[in-house]
Amino acid sequence: MNTTNRLNHAYSQAPWRVQRQWVSIFLLIVLGFAMIATLYLMVTSQAGIVGREIQDLRLAIMETEHMNADLQTELARLTSSNEMERQARELGFRAVKPEEVEYLYVPGYIAPQGPTLAAAPGLQPSAPSTPPEYTQSLLDWLNERLQTPDRGLR
Amino acid sequence: MRQQYAWRSMLLNGIMAVVAVLIILQMVRIQASAEAEAFREQANAFKGGYKTYYPERGEIYDRNGHLLAGNQIVYEVGVDLTTVIDPHSVAMAVSVNLDKDFDEVYSEILNPPPGISYLVVDNFASSEAVAYLEDLKKELGESENPTPSLAGLEFSPRLQRSYPEASLASNVLGFVNREGRGYFGVEEKYNDLLAGNPVQVWVPNDPNRAVEIPRVPNGTSLILTINRDLQDAVEEILDRSLSEYDAQHGTIIVMNPKNGEILAMAATPRMDLNNFENYGAIYDNASEYNRAIGMPYEPGSVMKIFTMGAALDTGLVNPNTTFLDTGEIQVGGVTIRNWDQAAWGVQNMVGCLQHSLNVCLTWVATQLGPQNFYGYMNRFGFGHLTGVDMSGEAAGRLKVPGDADWYPVDLGTNSFGQGITATPLQIMTGASAIANQGHMVTPHTLYAMLRDGHQFNVPPQYAGSPIRSDTAATLNEMLAISLENEASAALVPGYRIAGKTGTAQIPTPLGFYDFSQTNASFIGWGPVDDPQFMIYVWLERPSASIWGSQTAAPVFSEAAQKTIILLDIPPDSVRLNMAAR
Repeated sequence: MNTTNRLNHAYSQAPWRVQRQWVSIFLLIVLGFAMIATLYLMVTSQAGIVGREIQDLRLAIMETEHMNADLQTELARLTSSNEMERQARELGFRAVKPEEVEYLYVPGYIAPQGPTLAAAPGLQPSAPSTPPEYTQSLLDWLNERLQTPDRGLR
Repeated sequence: MRQQYAWRSMLLNGIMAVVAVLIILQMVRIQASAEAEAFREQANAFKGGYKTYYPERGEIYDRNGHLLAGNQIVYEVGVDLTTVIDPHSVAMAVSVNLDKDFDEVYSEILNPPPGISYLVVDNFASSEAVAYLEDLKKELGESENPTPSLAGLEFSPRLQRSYPEASLASNVLGFVNREGRGYFGVEEKYNDLLAGNPVQVWVPNDPNRAVEIPRVPNGTSLILTINRDLQDAVEEILDRSLSEYDAQHGTIIVMNPKNGEILAMAATPRMDLNNFENYGAIYDNASEYNRAIGMPYEPGSVMKIFTMGAALDTGLVNPNTTFLDTGEIQVGGVTIRNWDQAAWGVQNMVGCLQHSLNVCLTWVATQLGPQNFYGYMNRFGFGHLTGVDMSGEAAGRLKVPGDADWYPVDLGTNSFGQGITATPLQIMTGASAIANQGHMVTPHTLYAMLRDGHQFNVPPQYAGSPIRSDTAATLNEMLAISLENEASAALVPGYRIAGKTGTAQIPTPLGFYDFSQTNASFIGWGPVDDPQFMIYVWLERPSASIWGSQTAAPVFSEAAQKTIILLDIPPDSVRLNMAAR
């Protein structure tokens, strides 16, 4: 019996060590929460900043498109029928009379069939290929998993 | 002692537990209360708001790619009342540069309506005025003195419809008001296509929740069949003709009779589409906006081509059929006479058309009978809309037997274009069957649509075949010969033209005809063997001469000569030589 007590006493933790262990565990949990909170703040703030940058770029695109439309209309105004006629007259041109027109036979010439104003197809940017794992945050991933229960947590 | 403390501790725990439960119950009660719903709505209102993104309105081009209707940047100028520090300077700058009343602006800044923190002072400021104000604001902002200052003056750009050609083709295009809605012409007809689809998104106020601004596809752009240079030339010819013949108004339409493409459509009055606010001062009612499609009138003798077409098609007459013109004919108890009150003796059908004999054509109509005559008029499209793709078309009136206001004499008068009303475009549509081997076309202004970088061409549509192709060929030849025999002022040197004049008396509101004033018209097309253009001229109440042959016919010739040059149509001799190679 005494032997048992002695062994228990020899291998049992000292009260101060038990207390320290509990404090350490508590601090570890607090540290874990602090890290997650910091990570969350970093990810959300970065996402917010990038979102705002994208918004700014979109607005810049819209502004450029508006500017394009404005300039196109201005160009049309500068080359309007009345303006071109005025400039032609100032340069000494006059309207041709029917009897002054000469028609030439050009073998093989095919008259244009009609207007084509559609822009030539430009280079198509490749589709975004970055997988979501590289772009979504941990919380985004978690949210997506929770909102699509059929996929579940893996 | 320890027992006593234990009881105290348990009591305290119990009280705290009860308080905790009460707090939780209170929280649940508050959450479920009616006030909570109001607070939630209030909170949601501050979370963000819906914002609508409007697409850029589609542009309108002529058939050669010239821009007829585009968009330009205008600015909304406003005052942020929370940041303005010098209302006097702001009001002064706005009043001088944006042509606003100083007292009004100054008073509004000092005494804004309750609950307003942003005051709009101009909705459509020009780029130039705003650029100047922006520079001034920046310059004053960099100054060390706090005043004068334009702090609080804000500028928001957006697009507004603009017409670089001003009044050119204004009757065809129509206009777009400040709210972005199209009125008249193409702008109204294709408003939904041009305007596109606005996109509404919910934008949160939380700076960390930046939502994506949607890419709003632009409205569909349109390519019209209108040829800008021809339109300009035709408008110039029309304006000059009104002055030369002292006519009140006029219309000239140029159409391709083979496919219904309207190449030019000029009418008076026109207006600068960039100043559409003047609409009320220029037009008394909507039908005047485009007389070519909106104002039916009694066209007079141009209708004789349809009467003759019906008679030829039924086999009732041929070009050599003779008629003894005694100068008058009785129909329904009413005597009908020729335009000159004269008797022209024996005439064949070409002579009837050449001399535009009312008596002869009345005889033809009576021989056809009402059923045949009105059946053909119906098939030629009279009394129906042509379906032209412009807003504001009128159908005209074709009285038929059985109508309360139809009388037997109408069969006679209708045969030479009195007592029947039609728009110039309706007459052209009917006549296209004669020029186009019996096939009537649907007139249209839309050549193609541009969307997402692709062009979708609009195929021509046909509106039936009121007469056979051999009838059309015969009538074509008769009309060409009658013009040549008459040495008409409508003839175009080097080109064979078919056509017909029209001089119509104008009915008064009392139901009688005004013998002193007429509507002078001419319809013609050419080259006869391969028609590439059809032109209609209508001069209202010309006073230099009341006759279409002396007013509308020479205008037709002039318009045709311009058309020939601008469409690169070689003279018949050159063209036939080319074809022979």
